[in-house]
Amino acid sequence: MSETTQIPVTVLTGYLGAGKTTLLNRILSENHGKKFAVVINEFGELGVDNDLVVDADEEVFEMNNGCICCTVRGDLIRIIGGLMKRRGKFDGIIVETTGLADPAPVAQTFFADEDVKRATRLDAIVTVVDAKNLPARLKDSKEAEEQIAFADIILLNKMDLVTEDEAAEVERKIRAINPWAEIRRSTKSAVPIDAVIGREAFDLKRILEREPEFLSGEDDHEHDSEVMSVSFEVSKPVDPEKFNAWMTQLLASKGQDLLRTKGILYYANDDRRFAFQAVHMIADGDFIGPVRDGDPHKSKIVFIGRDLNRPQLRRGFEGCQAEG
Amino acid sequence: MSDSDTADFLLDARGTSRDLGAYVVGLSFSREGRLGLGLGDGTVRIADPRDPQGDWITAAAHDGAVLSFCADAADGFLSGGDDGRLVRTAPDGAVTELAQLGTMKWVEQVAAHDSGLRAASVGKQLHLFDAKGAKLKTLVHPSSVGGIAFDAKGKRVAASHYNGASLWFVGSKEDKPRLLEWKGSHAAIAISPDGTHVVTAMQENALHGWRLADGQHMRMSGYPSKTHFLSFTGRGRWLATSGADSVVVWPFFGGGPMGKAPTELAGGDGVLCSAVACHPQHEVVAAGFADGLVLLAEIGSGKVVPVAAPGHGSITALGWNAGGTHLAFGTEQGFAGLVDLSKR
Repeated sequence: MSETTQIPVTVLTGYLGAGKTTLLNRILSENHGKKFAVVINEFGELGVDNDLVVDADEEVFEMNNGCICCTVRGDLIRIIGGLMKRRGKFDGIIVETTGLADPAPVAQTFFADEDVKRATRLDAIVTVVDAKNLPARLKDSKEAEEQIAFADIILLNKMDLVTEDEAAEVERKIRAINPWAEIRRSTKSAVPIDAVIGREAFDLKRILEREPEFLSGEDDHEHDSEVMSVSFEVSKPVDPEKFNAWMTQLLASKGQDLLRTKGILYYANDDRRFAFQAVHMIADGDFIGPVRDGDPHKSKIVFIGRDLNRPQLRRGFEGCQAEG
Repeated sequence: MSDSDTADFLLDARGTSRDLGAYVVGLSFSREGRLGLGLGDGTVRIADPRDPQGDWITAAAHDGAVLSFCADAADGFLSGGDDGRLVRTAPDGAVTELAQLGTMKWVEQVAAHDSGLRAASVGKQLHLFDAKGAKLKTLVHPSSVGGIAFDAKGKRVAASHYNGASLWFVGSKEDKPRLLEWKGSHAAIAISPDGTHVVTAMQENALHGWRLADGQHMRMSGYPSKTHFLSFTGRGRWLATSGADSVVVWPFFGGGPMGKAPTELAGGDGVLCSAVACHPQHEVVAAGFADGLVLLAEIGSGKVVPVAAPGHGSITALGWNAGGTHLAFGTEQGFAGLVDLSKR
């Protein structure tokens, strides 16, 4: 089956009351001519107005594939199998998770299950946060932190309830966790649909297309949260064998703490760029076309995770450079 | 097998085909002998094998897609849909709703036994109904049900789920299942015809089995993809399975399948086997492949006879009538075939 027939899936996460369902209803009611199948959870606060709504149970399963943190959503595997039986009746799937959900099993379902992988592609993880309450949530909830760490797009919602200074401080907190997510400010979840749908955030061709935004003085500032991000760049070409050996070992030993990893690599003796991404231990990588003229040839890797040992990771990545 | 002129010989010479326009989710021959197919557009189609060229009946059974399909207990068909309904379609196409099992909930599995029992699963719940359609009981599982099966006598019903399967006595006053445990997520399930073994297909491209007499575990692995079809031969000597690029059949005799290698039939094309159905009497397997090829393979000799050529989409439904004279298949693209294999 060719890539073009894969149905895009948008995952909507966010803490209870942040405005997830309001965003969902906006997407569904906007006049865009697209039809969506919507997977909601049984504890949803508001009704969802759509022809095709499935009530999911959020059953998280461990996969016995030697990968200790490989959990998937068993209900989602079945639901996507069922939706494929009415293929052609909808253009995309939106999965709304509960406020307390860990986004990892949802994301991993799209990489670990071959039937799901064949039929669909993960388009983006969209996290809706409440600008007023996020600082408090980050203090008391591991899930709120993970939902930000996993996000490709963060809707900084309820902007009408905060001052500009407060908003800037919340953005700083978000950036400390996740440097690559696109932050969109909104009130009542009002954003254009193309800000959240059709983003192709998991497309290897678009990996690190946007320059990750790190805070200045990142090494020194105190972290409010356990989750952090680090990024490294090397200018010498990378040895693919060394990189594979390092990454395999790193994901196997540290994969539980590494939430998301993205990289663009320039291999020695190869005029193509190699893109790489991982969700915990599940990795995916491919060549994404030729090196462009004027390209600085700098290989880059970004990690979002817990307890990241910056010097050790830096040495590891620098050790992947080809000799000579 | 790549020569479609010869591969379609049986379908052309002794069969009929239709383009039904929607994913064929399941098919079955009813106990009075008709062929029924449940489709992704919510309809049930009915063909009469005695008049295959005649019109096939279209019954509007579900608002949405048919998700599960089987022959009903006495005649006609039973289907579950993504509209939350359990529906019976009579041989003449008349549709009756047996139960509405929830809004926004899916009826993912159905089964029926000729004693009159019907079963339908929604999430973690397995509902049992009698011949008149009255609900007998609801059996609850620790997680969503991935597959259900009655034993040959209709005394027990097995349901697969996360971390194993539950085996229930249908007539028991106290509903306490025998829990067959094995870590992981289990979907397709089968009970051997003699009722001595339960086998499930797992998320991890492997099968797991339990010998009920002593709880002995059986692990059958090595599949390149998930198994969706499990089918025992008539006397239960072999279990045929989909999920490999050949038809993998496991011996259930002479101490097997423990410590025995499976027999592989009709492999070598690098195309995954997507459906299997054993002949009800003979040790012959009908198999469908991801490219649309349908063939018959004799287990003893390994001899293969093509039935339908590739080209109409992955085979998603396959089945024999009770007498073993007719074989039917359906594909994800909505192509369906019915072949008369009786002696002439």
